Amino acid sequence: MLSIKNCLIESETWQIRFPDIQLNPDDLLVIIGPSGIGKSTFLHWLLGNQPKHVNISGQIFIDGQDVSQLTVENRHIGLLMQDVFLFPHLSVEDNISFALPKSPDLHSKKQRRTKAHSMLEQINLEHLSKRYPQSLSGGERSRVGLVRALANQPKVMLLDEPFAALDPSNREKIGKWTFQQLAQQAIPSIMVTHDLNDIPTSAKQLNLADYYQSKETP
Amino acid sequence: MATTLRRLSRVLGWWLIICIASLPVWGILFGLWPDEDTSIADLSRLLAYQGLGLSLWQSMFSALFSSLVSLYLAFLIYSQYQSHSKVGGRWLEKYLSPLLSLPHLAIALGLVFLFSESGVFFVNGEFGLPRKGLSTFIMAIIIKEVPFFLLILITVGRQLPLHGWLLQGRALGYDTSTSWWLLVFPNILKHMRLALLAASAYTLSVVDMNLLVGPNIPELFAVSVYRWQGSFSEGDQALGFWANVLLLVLLAVSIVFLYCHEKLAIKALQHWAVLGRRIRLGFVDTLGSVWLPASGLLILLMVLVLTLWSLGFNWHCDTFSLPNLNTQLWQDEWLFVALPLQNALFIGVSAAILGILFTLLALELQRQKGRYLPDYIWLLGILLPQLSMVLGWQVSHIWLEGGYHSGWVVFAHLPFTFGYAYLVLKGPFQSIDANYELIGASFGYSPWQRWWKIRFRLLFPATLSAFAITFAVSIAQYIPTLMIGAGRVTTITTEAVAIGTGSQQDVAALYILLQSLLPLAAFLMTALLSSRVAGPKHSTLGISRC
Amino acid sequence: MIFRRFSTKLTGLILLVSVSISNVMAEDLVVETLDETDAKWQQTLKVAKGKSVYFYAWGGSKAVNEYLRWAKREIAKQYGVRLIHVKVTDPGEAVARLKAENGRTSAIDLTWVNGENFAYLKQHDHLLGNLWSSIPNVANLAVDTLPITVDFGESMDGYEVPWGIGQFNLIAEEAVFSNAQFSANDLLTIARNNPETVTYPRPPEFHGSTFLKQLLVNLTKAEQRLYLAATQEAQEELLPILWAYLDKLHPYLWQQGKAFPTSSSEQFLLYQQKSLSMAVSFNPNQWIKEKATKQISESSVRRSFIDGAITNSHNLAIPKFAPNSEAAKVVINFMLSEQAQQQKFAGEWGDPSVLKSMFDSRSSLPAHGEPHSSWQLILEDAWQQRYGG
Repeated sequence: MLSIKNCLIESETWQIRFPDIQLNPDDLLVIIGPSGIGKSTFLHWLLGNQPKHVNISGQIFIDGQDVSQLTVENRHIGLLMQDVFLFPHLSVEDNISFALPKSPDLHSKKQRRTKAHSMLEQINLEHLSKRYPQSLSGGERSRVGLVRALANQPKVMLLDEPFAALDPSNREKIGKWTFQQLAQQAIPSIMVTHDLNDIPTSAKQLNLADYYQSKETP
Repeated sequence: MATTLRRLSRVLGWWLIICIASLPVWGILFGLWPDEDTSIADLSRLLAYQGLGLSLWQSMFSALFSSLVSLYLAFLIYSQYQSHSKVGGRWLEKYLSPLLSLPHLAIALGLVFLFSESGVFFVNGEFGLPRKGLSTFIMAIIIKEVPFFLLILITVGRQLPLHGWLLQGRALGYDTSTSWWLLVFPNILKHMRLALLAASAYTLSVVDMNLLVGPNIPELFAVSVYRWQGSFSEGDQALGFWANVLLLVLLAVSIVFLYCHEKLAIKALQHWAVLGRRIRLGFVDTLGSVWLPASGLLILLMVLVLTLWSLGFNWHCDTFSLPNLNTQLWQDEWLFVALPLQNALFIGVSAAILGILFTLLALELQRQKGRYLPDYIWLLGILLPQLSMVLGWQVSHIWLEGGYHSGWVVFAHLPFTFGYAYLVLKGPFQSIDANYELIGASFGYSPWQRWWKIRFRLLFPATLSAFAITFAVSIAQYIPTLMIGAGRVTTITTEAVAIGTGSQQDVAALYILLQSLLPLAAFLMTALLSSRVAGPKHSTLGISRC
Repeated sequence: MIFRRFSTKLTGLILLVSVSISNVMAEDLVVETLDETDAKWQQTLKVAKGKSVYFYAWGGSKAVNEYLRWAKREIAKQYGVRLIHVKVTDPGEAVARLKAENGRTSAIDLTWVNGENFAYLKQHDHLLGNLWSSIPNVANLAVDTLPITVDFGESMDGYEVPWGIGQFNLIAEEAVFSNAQFSANDLLTIARNNPETVTYPRPPEFHGSTFLKQLLVNLTKAEQRLYLAATQEAQEELLPILWAYLDKLHPYLWQQGKAFPTSSSEQFLLYQQKSLSMAVSFNPNQWIKEKATKQISESSVRRSFIDGAITNSHNLAIPKFAPNSEAAKVVINFMLSEQAQQQKFAGEWGDPSVLKSMFDSRSSLPAHGEPHSSWQLILEDAWQQRYGG
């Protein structure tokens, strides 16, 4: 459960007053709008990464708990961007191991690697487990990125133009696969995109242009 | 036709680069060629030298320990400034300028003047540094190397998507500090390899600083080498030869050690990353945040003391009074320093620019070949013992009957500026995404245009740092300037070093200050410039695309 | 001064008291000298005019640098010769260059040299000879009263010309060193009463080695064998006396003898900053000059060993293949003029004159001859063996 209340983005010349947002576990909200309007800024704010050029205020509740004052690392929110930023010094399985939460049954290196491996297996990517990110294709990278994000068991998932770097055929396939994964894990998600083709039919939509107010006096 | 021309220029380029890169080997071969009467018996005489074992051990230890501590400290500071300060690296870079400009020797001088037993701030035996000792020597080296490593970190960091990695790390539940160490450090460490090699080679062979604050019972190895080599009494030259050979062995050992350290450190951090370990640094974290202000304060105090000395303030005066201070010395010496300053400026700018040009050529040729040669090949100028190397050049220069003018001095500085330029530029050069050029090609730009308008443009901020560092390196050269310039080409450093061997603290202080002026100007200028030109903005990638 | 020298072959003591005492060596020194009016010299002056002389000389002393700036002006004015001071940190730099040039045209026209560096250059035939017979003012050298014909055991033989005099002395706090002269035992008492304020430059630094020689002379009561080649037997008998003494002295030294100043300059700075009660010097007038310029405290005095100060000369030499050797001779001739020697002594530098006409006992200390040159290396090696590691 994710709910966002009284969210206001303010810059010197414009502001956006968001409607209150309520997302259930299997909900996907897609935010659209012209570029430069603050879509990514909004996602980064949700993540806890305070942007430098605008002011954002509002409250964020995850499962009823107010996380607005928490730092990024304490919010349990996953982020998938166009560049998934796999860590170049870690192999695919180690990238995933890094994301696994701390728990008694994931204590040793072996346990963690086995778990990572099995996650890759589930999506038939186990052949990539020893490879390093530099040698992956764009589609592979996106998928590994999502597996890594999910391995962390986030309570909310944010997707910032996740498929923008992929070629059209891959794009559709991976998009579908991604939403399927998110739905399976019942994680409320928010996605920002330019491309209306990316949006699954079941998703809710929010067009920021509808809430945009210019401050400039005529 | 065009391809033939390109192939020809490539061959020519390789030849040029090979010539420059092999100058140090050439120098060492000629400079170190043993006299006929050097024998194995002399080697056993060297090995029997009282205190040799301890001396070698202390030299090795100080070289490796100080370089590694400097690196870790610099990284700690870098991570803190990048994460906490809004202005971040830009501000840091400007702040570093004065720290980088004062010569090593001045730092050592300041350290003992302020903190040794008889020093100004000496409290009691617990906290004071010995006037001469390994700890003082290591401390002075660390104070000087941390800003150097920071500058390299800033330069390398600018080219890496640090903020993307860090954001992912934090989104996955790791605190900032852990993310820096587990995610950024392993990726930045291999780009720091050359700087580590350079720093430890420097520490291993530095003499002036060693003479001032290093232990001398036994003395560190570099001092013994210097003494034997500079002495023409019977037997000392032979000892000098074997000592140089031994110094080369030490260098090789330290290279191996640093490679192993790199492998092990990355392994350990990978291990922790897989385990999801959090890294807590405790008080070390505080050290990182107070280090720069503290060394800044030290430098400020030192500049103040040097200025007071140069104005005629005498330490023995029991009462301190301002009216006794005067600018007489500045006025007297000004006439004599204008030319040395001018020479230093000309040589520094030429050697720095040429060093950078040859470095870019070397990097580009290697990139086209698709294979990078081992780093130490390019850094030989910095790694090999300077005195023997320059001696070899001197012999060749005399054979060639080359004149004694600035051109030759620039040439003699080139291997050093080349080495440092390579050290600074290699990381940034390699991390430029080739796709940018691909895009350029798709717009119809020729290879040369692509290189100039895209690659060089992206490298420009790193080139500025490289310029400041190589310029400062050139300014600091004493031995090559004197030995190749033969006294016809005096620079502010030949004057300052000579005067520094005496006991007149007023003149010595004046020259140290003057010697710091040119590098200070270069560092400040490039720091200001690089905050105006945009490099690859990985750092704000996540945010800027709203 | 940072010159290193070998000890002389002088077989006895030379006392530099006001009355001249004839030097044994002086008799061998029947050099023909040249008159300034001689056509040969006139020719030299003519050739020299308009030439540049690159003079390799230590650049660490403000006083010497100032003096050379003065000399440069005078020489330009009087002879039309341009003197250029190439400031080096160590005379070894000139030797290394001459070695590298190995018979080719030199970049050096004139060099400041003595001791082992001179010995090396002379033995390897890198120096221009017959200087004594081709420079007029050599005739005025005080060869009868000063030990200036032999340079640490190596006879000068016209390959170098004495320029000034070095005498080993201490610059010390009067309250600590109350008597004008002191013995090794006085020094031990002083060190014991003022711990951590006495020290000496680390041998083989030249001042440090000379300090050891002075101690050895004092402790063995100037034993005759010190002035002969060091035999095994003499070493075994004499050296232990010095080591026994140093074993007692070192615990009271600065840093308890666990570190030593690397040079006399560094020791002087420590003295200036009042970390030490004494500094070492080879210039018998340095103390008075430093006091005059307020570099050291008013209570500073000059002190020397009771046996007399070990005395030697520092010299000028011309490389064999110096491009402007004639002009260099003109410079040497000027340096030996009364005007230049007077300025050297009376000016900031205070270096004693080497001229007969200017010999002044007040400017110098009672002198003591160098032990035989073989002792120097033996002392340095044995010191390193016992205390250096």
